[in-house]
Amino acid sequence: MRIIVHRDKCQGHARCWAHAPDVFKLDDEGYILPGDIEVAERDELLATRGARSCPERALEIDRAFDALLDRFLFNQACGGFNT
Amino acid sequence: MVRDFSLFTSPGMGPTPDGDPHAAVACAHDALPIFYSPNNTRDGRGTWVITRAKDQRRVLHDTATFSSHRSIFASALGENWPMIPLELDPPAHGVFRSLLNPLLSPKRVMVLEPAIRERAIVLIDGISAASTSCDVMKDFAFPFAVSIFLHFLGLPDERLDTFVGWGKDLLHGEGVKRTAAARTIVAFIDDLAAERRKEPTDDFMTFVVEAKVDGRPLTDEEVRGIGVLVFVAGLDTVATAIGFDLAYLARNPKDQQLLRREPDRIGLAAEELLRAYSTVQMIRVAKKDIDFEGAPIRKGDYISCATMIANRDPAEFENPNTIDLAREDNRHTAFAYGPHRCLGSHLARREIVIALEEWLSRIPDFRIKEDTVPITYGGHVFGIENLILDWS
Ligand code: SF4
Repeated sequence: MRIIVHRDKCQGHARCWAHAPDVFKLDDEGYILPGDIEVAERDELLATRGARSCPERALEIDRAFDALLDRFLFNQACGGFNT
Repeated sequence: MVRDFSLFTSPGMGPTPDGDPHAAVACAHDALPIFYSPNNTRDGRGTWVITRAKDQRRVLHDTATFSSHRSIFASALGENWPMIPLELDPPAHGVFRSLLNPLLSPKRVMVLEPAIRERAIVLIDGISAASTSCDVMKDFAFPFAVSIFLHFLGLPDERLDTFVGWGKDLLHGEGVKRTAAARTIVAFIDDLAAERRKEPTDDFMTFVVEAKVDGRPLTDEEVRGIGVLVFVAGLDTVATAIGFDLAYLARNPKDQQLLRREPDRIGLAAEELLRAYSTVQMIRVAKKDIDFEGAPIRKGDYISCATMIANRDPAEFENPNTIDLAREDNRHTAFAYGPHRCLGSHLARREIVIALEEWLSRIPDFRIKEDTVPITYGGHVFGIENLILDWS
């Protein structure tokens, strides 16, 4: 799973960090660091909760990316990129 | 588009025995998404009232159209200076925000946590050693919240009662009392700033008088604007939240039991209680004429974004009037929204959670004492005046 960070929307509520401090990193002022986040499978539940608690909707859960990844891995397993 | 509605004068907004002011304002959702309320500020001015959470977000985010400078404190004195950073608009707002954010960031609050917990424990142990009943507001919530914030400011505890008194007069007193309190607080902050200039220590006021923005020191008016805001903001918001939360748990033994059994749930539960019992109304001033969802807002008009209304919006929260301590995806806006998100929110949250944790772990099953009635009120900051709990 990937989380798209809209840094310009973040207002430092730190709700994401409260749910998953290992996933969401804050700067010294308490705002989220810029850059999208790859979430390891074991962190997915907490990361999802964190993203869904953001009052500013600054965190977008990218499911399309999951589907893409699935397809890629599947195709790899089949020995290539044939669609 | 005009509606007889006011956070100050509607039924249930004055001191009300066994009142539920939050439920009383939730009825705003039966009406239009925006309406005009002719008497909806302390000083009797009208405001547009925005009822939907999504529209409030639009207003609070659009700082180009909706200014937050309304000089709420200074105007009580017939003056005009902003409380900082609350009443500054971007970009000046951001400069002061960056200066102050690190002092109240989530990481900084983690450092303060042991002192906060210690304070809660001392107070609660004192209460339980003395009796099996107490007035939570007077004996715990106010002394706890106010002493933490005095500690933060670097002020001694002995003046706690004086400060609480000033806060009460300022936020809930009428006319003369209110002006006198405002004057007292300004004089106090000015004196404190002057003292710290002469003799720096390592407290908040010293930080402010020594700070620089845009490469220059702060002006006296800026120092005052910051000092007054921090002083006023800490006086009754957290205490009030703790009061509403403990009142809820006293009336709902099942939820009380749940949190006793599984204290890990307190953090999430506190968020739901913040949603259901939000206490402040944000007001913005229109900088230009704008048509908003069919309402003709004119330059200079006041627009009210009351957190207690947004947080009970059925379009935003399933069953908004039901308190569900396990509610997830709780994007409530008790600490407002947008660039002016409450600077002290991280400290406030920790105080509330710690207060509930320590209260539940030290005080056995409690209920509202028979033949006593909590008195609630609406207004500038929703509150609860007395809460006599009994665990005999
Ligand atoms: S919850 Fe949203 S606003 Fe808050 S720190 Fe995280 S990204 Fe920023």
